[in-house]
Amino acid sequence: MKLTYDKKQEKHIWLTKLTQFSKHPYFPILLLGFVLILLQVIGSTGVIKPSVLNFLSPVLTRYIVALGFLMLLGYAGLASLGTAGFMGLGAYLVGYLFETAGVSAEMAFIIGLILSLVLGTIVGFISLRIEGMYLAIVTLGLSEILKNFFQNSPLTGGAMGMNLEAGIKFLGTFSSNTLTYNPVYYIIVIFMIVLMIWTINIIKSPTGRAFLSIKNSTSAAQAMGISLLKYRLSAFLLATLFAVTGGMLTMIRSLTAYPATWGIDLSLNVLAAVVIGGTKSIWGVLIGTFIIFGMKDLILVKIPFFQTYKNAHLMFSGALIILVVMFYPGGVIKLFTDLKALVIKGYNKLITVWKEYRYGKDI
Amino acid sequence: MAKIFKSLNKVLLEKQISKLTYQIELLEVDTDLLKDKLDKRFEKAVKAEIESYRPTLLEKEIKQLSNEDFVIYHTESKLEKLEKSYDLKKRALTTSKIRKLEKTESAEEKQTIEKDSKTKLDMLNEELKAKKAELLKPYEARNLKADELKQNHKAFKEAEKAALESLEAFKKDLSEKHEELINQKQAQVNQKIEAKKAKLATKKALLKPIIDRLNDQTASSIESFDDAILQVEHLTMNFGGLKAVDDLSFDVKKGEIFGLIGPNGAGKTTVFNCITQFYKPTSGKMIFKNNNHDIISLTDYKVHDVIKQGIVRTFQNVELIWELSILDNMLVGAHSLYRSNFFDHSFQTFGFKREEKILKMRAEKILTDLDLYAYKDFYPLGLPYGILKRIELARTLMTHPSLIILDEPAAGLNDSETEDLAHTIKKIQKEYDTTIFLVEHDMGLVMSICDTICAISFGKKLAIGTPLEIQNHPQVKEAYLGGE
Repeated sequence: MKLTYDKKQEKHIWLTKLTQFSKHPYFPILLLGFVLILLQVIGSTGVIKPSVLNFLSPVLTRYIVALGFLMLLGYAGLASLGTAGFMGLGAYLVGYLFETAGVSAEMAFIIGLILSLVLGTIVGFISLRIEGMYLAIVTLGLSEILKNFFQNSPLTGGAMGMNLEAGIKFLGTFSSNTLTYNPVYYIIVIFMIVLMIWTINIIKSPTGRAFLSIKNSTSAAQAMGISLLKYRLSAFLLATLFAVTGGMLTMIRSLTAYPATWGIDLSLNVLAAVVIGGTKSIWGVLIGTFIIFGMKDLILVKIPFFQTYKNAHLMFSGALIILVVMFYPGGVIKLFTDLKALVIKGYNKLITVWKEYRYGKDI
Repeated sequence: MAKIFKSLNKVLLEKQISKLTYQIELLEVDTDLLKDKLDKRFEKAVKAEIESYRPTLLEKEIKQLSNEDFVIYHTESKLEKLEKSYDLKKRALTTSKIRKLEKTESAEEKQTIEKDSKTKLDMLNEELKAKKAELLKPYEARNLKADELKQNHKAFKEAEKAALESLEAFKKDLSEKHEELINQKQAQVNQKIEAKKAKLATKKALLKPIIDRLNDQTASSIESFDDAILQVEHLTMNFGGLKAVDDLSFDVKKGEIFGLIGPNGAGKTTVFNCITQFYKPTSGKMIFKNNNHDIISLTDYKVHDVIKQGIVRTFQNVELIWELSILDNMLVGAHSLYRSNFFDHSFQTFGFKREEKILKMRAEKILTDLDLYAYKDFYPLGLPYGILKRIELARTLMTHPSLIILDEPAAGLNDSETEDLAHTIKKIQKEYDTTIFLVEHDMGLVMSICDTICAISFGKKLAIGTPLEIQNHPQVKEAYLGGE
């Protein structure tokens, strides 16, 4: 063996380590969480208006719901229209258990999760045995039943809605409508980060592959030993779990729940967010959620047309769905990668043209 | 009560046995993994040792350089960069001159442009010279004589020799330890395997009488199951009023390539779907000797449990998972082998990661065996049809099945691809020690690779025998070419 020496020695080992870590799939998620938390920490000193900051929490809770829907639609290939029903169920359950039953908020959270999972198992077991769009139909029916229940039951406060005026204490933070900057925002961000990491873990594991196999070819999946009912049910239960978590966090954050909120339009909006963003990418869904739910509160509110017609934003999202499905079946996330490729290509071309101009043709 | 207890006991024992066989399989791969790990550690240690000699040797090497080489050593790359940048500047100057010359027509202006560019070029040259001198300045001060250089050179050579020798010694010492460690680990793993095997044997001995008693009926009905792996008896399948398969019986022997042929609509694929439980047959028995050498009736199992007994199938139209890469498709094929549950997947536990690593290794080995390794990270969409068929074939091998069912493997392939496929099927049958059962339209392929052929028409058996017998059978000829 010959001993050979390079002239250059490696410098900045920590830098190479950092670049290595930056390629880890958890890195961008943790970075996002850090930025979101920093936003409120800095913003609450008065730098950012409360109206701008407060619009973030509902969008992030909707994002949690959309993450579950991503696994259901993008991976298992199933569509559910009962998302809003389950969100409402979560919201009312945590409200009822806290206010009337007098349990602590954390306990109410856990009990609510278990109860809604039981309901989800029953619904899934009934509807997933048959192939096709039956899940969508059954969940649509369930959602309407739940909405009517919220409207007419004395447990939920009826059409007047439920209101937790005294505020709620949850995981060491106190949520109240008198506060300009709500600290529950931090809890929501932490929940979002944990659930994002969970989603990534699942979709890269055999479970995620089994979901995709069922979506692509049921017969191949069965021949490879994948039980259709088991994995369809687990995808549906995951979506239910995420939806209920989102509903509960919404309740804890906003402290009010009206039956009209949990209608079919919310379910369709979640569907729209997933389809527009890109059905297989958690980052695409993040963009989709901001387009559907964030745009309405931040931008569309300021346009006079949308001020006079309150429900016109549905038209906007409908048009977006048509555009995306027709021209970008991969979702908006694919637009970003395409744009990036285009920019790099244009930049390279510009450089070569400039070099040819300055140094002559044969460079 | 006693019966229920016994059947419960049987189920529990079967679960334990399958778990043990799986653990043994994992342990057998484990030695390779350990060896890989230890090899990497060895290389790392050697590299670290080399690294430790480096600074002193480098110092000595620089000292022994002659004056010129010393300057070059320090300034080579910098000089290169400098010259390159000035070269570009000069080129820019000439191109701009040419452009200016094209624009003007009067001779006077042309002259002035030429003059200007020439002065600028001279200036650039001078600048370059000055910069070079500045670069070389700190290193030119050194001035060693020939004797000193010789001495330095000698010292360097000696140091290098010593370093190499000590490195050799270090490697020798380490490799001894390395081998010892590998042997030790291997012995440990072997011990574990033996312990597990002993446990397995006792469990199997416990299970045998129970199974014998429980399966009295199935066992008594089988007369000659010595060399057969699959026995189809009086299989009938009705779709409404249509009899797709009508009282069909045949045996598939262990280790052979069995072909099922027949004209279009003869019910060949229906037979396959009945065996793999995609259809539940109207009547008839299908008896199979599974991976644990137990005799089972296939109709007792669900579609997704059939693979666990050792039967894997492919499809007429390629049924790969289009949204997954080829390697992930292979891992889908191994889905029934995963013992890690949803909890493990959610938290990416150590056991799950190890399992994934081992199965990935197995997938890569199978892909290299079938010359498909190059397509490992591709997605199936856009690959040639022949490759896709072979990938589907490779996917079936992931679970080490005892019976592979191929549904028209040569459909849609050209002649050379078919030849390739025949070669692959033969290879699989030999190397993976499995039985292959196939339906095919391509008579050339069937006649060349099959050991036994069964011909059916309208769901009924016409003939069964060797390829030559089938070719000369009058009824088969009639079914294919038509009667009078």
